[in-house]
Amino acid sequence: MLKVSEELCIGCGICEDSCPFGAIEIEDGLAVVGDNCTLCGACVESCEVGALSLEVMEKTVQQDLSSWQGVWVYCEFRRGELAPVALELLGAGRRLADKRGVPLGAVLIGYQTGDTAAQLIGHGADTVFVVDCEPMQVFREDVYSRVLTSLIRSHKPEIVLAGATAIGRSFIPGVAVKLNAGLTADCTGLEIREEDGALLQTRPAFGGNIMATIVCEDSRPQMATVRPKVMKALEFDKARDGEIVPVEPEPDQITSCIEVVEEVVSEEVSVNIQEADVLISGGRGLESEKGFDLIRELANAMGAKVSASRAVVDAGWIPYPHQVGQTGKTVAPKLYIACGISGAIQHVAGMQSAETVVAINRDENATIFDVADYGIVGDLFEILPKLIRKIEERR
Amino acid sequence: MKIIVCIKQVPDTKDVRLDPETNTLAREGVESIMNPYDQHALEEAVRLKEQYGGEVVAVTMGPPQAEEMLRLAVSCGADDVVLVSDRSFAGADTWATSYTLEKALKKIGDFDLILCGKQAIDGDTAQVGPGLATRLDIPYITCVQKIREFTENKLVLERMMDDGFDVVRVECPLLVTVVKDINEPRVPSLKGKMRAKKIDITKLSADDIGADPACIGLPGSPTKVVKVFAPEPRGGRAVFEGNLDEQIDQLVDKLMPYLS
Ligand SMILES: Cc1cc2nc3c(=O)[nH]c(=O)nc-3n(C[C@H](O)[C@H](O)[C@H](O)COP(=O)(O)OP(=O)(O)OC[C@H]3O[C@@H](n4cnc5c(N)ncnc54)[C@H](O)[C@@H]3O)c2cc1C
Ligand SMILES: Nc1ncnc2c1ncn2[C@@H]1O[C@H](COP(=O)(O)O)[C@@H](O)[C@H]1O
Repeated sequence: MLKVSEELCIGCGICEDSCPFGAIEIEDGLAVVGDNCTLCGACVESCEVGALSLEVMEKTVQQDLSSWQGVWVYCEFRRGELAPVALELLGAGRRLADKRGVPLGAVLIGYQTGDTAAQLIGHGADTVFVVDCEPMQVFREDVYSRVLTSLIRSHKPEIVLAGATAIGRSFIPGVAVKLNAGLTADCTGLEIREEDGALLQTRPAFGGNIMATIVCEDSRPQMATVRPKVMKALEFDKARDGEIVPVEPEPDQITSCIEVVEEVVSEEVSVNIQEADVLISGGRGLESEKGFDLIRELANAMGAKVSASRAVVDAGWIPYPHQVGQTGKTVAPKLYIACGISGAIQHVAGMQSAETVVAINRDENATIFDVADYGIVGDLFEILPKLIRKIEERR
Repeated sequence: MKIIVCIKQVPDTKDVRLDPETNTLAREGVESIMNPYDQHALEEAVRLKEQYGGEVVAVTMGPPQAEEMLRLAVSCGADDVVLVSDRSFAGADTWATSYTLEKALKKIGDFDLILCGKQAIDGDTAQVGPGLATRLDIPYITCVQKIREFTENKLVLERMMDDGFDVVRVECPLLVTVVKDINEPRVPSLKGKMRAKKIDITKLSADDIGADPACIGLPGSPTKVVKVFAPEPRGGRAVFEGNLDEQIDQLVDKLMPYLS
């Protein structure tokens, strides 16, 4: 329940303005909470006189939290390759594990994983559980979810991290529900709370307009999917010591209702824009499919990948997997060059955690410049060819 | 065939912004819309019905205001709509939401297919669909970009992956979450609008669905928001000096470290 203290409330209306759901109204000088309140807490923070409070019922069943120990990272492996986000998570996981004084475990699920387990140890893992068998070659939600759930049940790690990739965001929510665990999606920050060692998980909400920090105080494990490219991997250190534990899944874990008939790899090799260090992104300003080729040329010249605004995807100049934004992908590259993109909020939602943003647009009032670190105002049909030539000259 | 579509009313993102100075949300008449991904889920359900026959039921868990969105769903082709609403649902995270929807769907009864959006644009979690399927103990496939075939209770689907897509075959009952590429939602028809005006909306409370009070709303949610704050403002724009050529040269200087 959201409670309004009649004594403290001065009817100033700040909470009314602060509610993303329009659930508060001032009536007769007092804040009144409507039915569409979702208890998000935004107003509590905003109230200057402290008149608002969230009343939380105590959970009756308390889990024995202390029996859960250790930090785990799920390491995604597909078609002979480890997802780069796995190493980033081992970097983050190592830091959290050291802070808690617990070991760091890695779970590697796949087929013909070769020396990947050793690589995971070199990047920070103390123990690697390897589920390497043919049924793991293709991704099936039900199989992956049963295998990981069973491992977590028997080893009881307090924290489980996974990449916020297509695979991670698909099967991890199933695992969390099976374990009755809280799960925070697409985190961009992870810290340990000093007082009780709980995991503080920070993530963007409302298309990145708001950041929220989330904890799971009284359930274990604490689970999070983490956005690729925001955590830092550790340098490989072959002196690092660790244990490799092969795991044989039970037959009932690998029977599946899902049959993967075919795996189609995109022709455009650079389709996985979430793992890109540099993205050249084009918008409607390129005017045509042919105009959009300038984006591909610049990407080639820089060794970068190509992304686009929704307007471009809707026009059919490039397929949907390249779309950045609220109804596309969220990216966090080191460098994002936005060409002929106006900077609509839905687009910015998908790219504002890029480290450096460059904008090229002929409209000096375009909102993309508000989120850009460097900008050039001008015609991209003049700028891009010159830029490509100059880069090629200086390579 | 009975298809259930889970839809959610969300604030239109473009209206939601935190004032970095006061740390309060600046709200200029927040509009509520049907979650964009859910529009695609609804459209796909209606298309399947048109092709194979059956019935489409749209379900939402939300405040009474969500009625408006349910009427929109009817005008876009839903046969029936259900509002799962109770003050005690407030503050639900994805765990509690999927629990509540599970209870509601069990009450609604047999279904062959459940369609959800990939994610809701307010929380962007993409967790409710998979969570709901897991609770119902049925298979699920996320991020479906195309339903290729639907014969004898079997579906052949294209599931979007990071490096392309997988073609998968699954049997009903099944839950599918869809991405925007799957279709182009229609605009409400006149006939639909007429029906929407008159339709009797089924309402289910926490008691109606037999929900355990410890599992719903804020108390039932394992995740708790402890802080909301404005994102760090992005670096101010650096304007290059000089004519266009000079500006491009300066930009190239900045770009050199990123070449690979
Ligand atoms: C529910 C919803 C979800 C959405 N999701 C997304 C999403 O995920 N991703 C997304 O991108 N959008 C999304 N949108 C759409 C978004 O609102 C914008 O319409 C879209 O981002 C605009 O794309 P654009 O910037 O390429 O085109 P425009 O807005 O048309 O901008 C083109 C820009 O190019 C500039 N320009 C034109 N010609 C030149 C030239 N010769 N030289 C230099 N500059 C030039 C113009 O000044 C202009 O700023 C969504 C919208 C809604 C309602
Ligand atoms: N309150 C709700 N009522 C009905 N469906 C919902 C609700 N919340 C989420 N969903 C469904 O679950 C999908 C994913 O939502 P989310 O996990 O919140 O990102 C949405 O696209 C909807 O189809």
